[in-house]
Amino acid sequence: MNAAENNNRVVVTDLVKNYGSNEVLKGLNLTVKNNEVVCMIGPSGSGKSTFLRCLNKLEDPTSGSVIVDGYDISDNKTNMNKVREGIGMVFQHFNLFPNLTVLENVMLAPIELKKADKEVATKEARALLDEVGLAEKADAYPASLSGGQEQRVAIARALAMHPDIMLFDEPTSALDPEMVGDVLDVMKKLAKQGMTMIVVTHEMGFAKEVADRVVFMADGHIMEEGDPQQLFDHPQNPRTQDFLRKVLNA
Amino acid sequence: MRKKLIWFALLCSTVFGALLATTTTSHAAEKTYTIGTDITYAPFDFQGTDGKYTGIDIDLIKAIAKEENMKIDLKPVGFNAAVQAVEANQMDGVIAGMTITKERKQQFDFSDPYYYAGEVMAVAKGSKVKSFKDLRGKNVALKVGTQGAAYAKSIQKKYGFKITEFDQSNDMYNDVVTGNSVAAFEDYPVMAYGIQNGIKLKIVTKPAKGGNYGFAVKKGENPELLTKFNAGLKALKKNGQYDKIVAKYLGKSSVAKATATAKKQDNSLWGLVKQNTGALGGGLLQTLYLTVISIILATIFGVIIGLMQVVPAKWANWLSSTLIYIFRGMPLLVLALFIYIGVPNLTGNKISAFLAGIITLTLNEGAYTAAFVSGGIRAVDNGQMEAARSLGLPYGKAMRRVILPQGIKIMIPSFINQFIITLKDTSILSVIGILELTQTGKIIIARNLQGFKVWTIIAIMYIVIITLLTWLSKAVERRMNK
Repeated sequence: MNAAENNNRVVVTDLVKNYGSNEVLKGLNLTVKNNEVVCMIGPSGSGKSTFLRCLNKLEDPTSGSVIVDGYDISDNKTNMNKVREGIGMVFQHFNLFPNLTVLENVMLAPIELKKADKEVATKEARALLDEVGLAEKADAYPASLSGGQEQRVAIARALAMHPDIMLFDEPTSALDPEMVGDVLDVMKKLAKQGMTMIVVTHEMGFAKEVADRVVFMADGHIMEEGDPQQLFDHPQNPRTQDFLRKVLNA
Repeated sequence: MRKKLIWFALLCSTVFGALLATTTTSHAAEKTYTIGTDITYAPFDFQGTDGKYTGIDIDLIKAIAKEENMKIDLKPVGFNAAVQAVEANQMDGVIAGMTITKERKQQFDFSDPYYYAGEVMAVAKGSKVKSFKDLRGKNVALKVGTQGAAYAKSIQKKYGFKITEFDQSNDMYNDVVTGNSVAAFEDYPVMAYGIQNGIKLKIVTKPAKGGNYGFAVKKGENPELLTKFNAGLKALKKNGQYDKIVAKYLGKSSVAKATATAKKQDNSLWGLVKQNTGALGGGLLQTLYLTVISIILATIFGVIIGLMQVVPAKWANWLSSTLIYIFRGMPLLVLALFIYIGVPNLTGNKISAFLAGIITLTLNEGAYTAAFVSGGIRAVDNGQMEAARSLGLPYGKAMRRVILPQGIKIMIPSFINQFIITLKDTSILSVIGILELTQTGKIIIARNLQGFKVWTIIAIMYIVIITLLTWLSKAVERRMNK
């Protein structure tokens, strides 16, 4: 809706993030187009998650510019609540609200932010739960769900505000292996529907199959990026080669 | 958050409104003098079996007021509280068996003396101590701030004894009866009256180094009150009423009467409960009032301060930390005395003991509440706030819908704990003369000297209401957890 003229959803320029004297992101540049699916891979501690969290200002960038959906979020005057409505985020540990039922989790934001009256919000929330295959769990509390179910509810919750962009922060890392497939299936479905997605992941199979572009990060830098075929089969950077050798042969 | 600020403002205005109300009524057109008296100083000030305060001081000031057409409001709050209240302009005068001394004259203006009392030493009935010489190396019990204490201290070096001081006469007597101390020093009429009424002590010295009792006002204040007191006293002495009053409590016939009543009295546990139903009920009610009002106000205050501790605003965090630091760090007893005695001294405005008590508990219990409220909120996983904010919820909404409902669950056991502590802490307010359950116990004991039994009754009453409060809280907890 608010996409910039040239169809760019996210434009990051010279992004630096410090924790005290520790420089975590060392001047990143990345552009993500509408409908594009970008997977970010790299070793632990490389700054992938921090980068993702800078995109909806869960982390304050130290310097550089981050423009999402046409809003300059590095500008303190920007109303972040407004911007965040257009950015869905899915966390590694789901972060469902344990005090609310599954349905209430999904409906909370639309109702609190007056995007829909209760009847419409309920209908939409049920449709979203159906979409992720959990319609029958609507009245359950998160504590009674499995990890994979929780994560699918979290995706439904993030979709409830009709975001233009979805951010996934290692969405399958905390799951038992047999649960991973269900969650990835939901994400694939989303990608097919044309959702703009940025996914921090260790699932190389998913990246190969779904991503339009793969970004390899290490030590706070983007080392290499390209389409999956090229990056996985012919990595140029020695760090990328080293990383892929380790994860693919594991 | 805005709603809560409004609540806070309302609370402040209520408190200040009450403060102002207290001030204005005391400055009403026809002056009513507020006079403080002791409560545990028979035969001068004590509570009769009917629950009314009586004694030489009480009868005398009432007779003088009648004689001089003065309106007086007697406040039986205990010697220390009365003296400090006059110093703080909380009260106009004090009549409490108060000896006129040089030191006291620097703070107070005294009336003409209305009674002369010598100091005597009393020992346990079977004791071998006969004179001051036998005190060497032994322990002596004294009552804080009395002439007896001053006298004992003046000869302490010469006779080489140790000193333990008590707030209540009865505690001092009992310390001698139980043998912790070998002797007590007391004004002769008080000691004699106590022994008549069954204290197991005997007087072993002649009245000495006594002093004159005087009615006191704060230095430089209320000179007309002193004039009226002196004129009234003169008149009463002339028409014989003064002698009648003294004889009523210290005359021969009074001895027989006192002995007779003492014998007639049923001093079993149940008998004591029956005799004192009114007083105990009143004390219980006052304790419950204090508890309920304080719990409500402390919870509001504590939740606000606790939230200020976690909101992303530096000034609020700082203010909250400072308030918690001060009011949690100050002993409740000191805080109560500071608010009741100190604040009027600073602002010049009177404040009722009850209001001072409520403010004390609100600040102190509120500070503890704030600490566990902020702790409870912090205990909620960070990811919850992040998830709520990433949906576009503003901070306040995220707090209210997501964080607080989870935090409150964590806090509930602490709340129940704090309610019980608040209930118990009301007993400390007896120090500023509030007639709650503990103070009621002290007063009953001052009359009947049945310390062990009365404290047993009071203890059982506390246990019962604490049990009820616990049940109530647990029932609420169960409902909230559903």
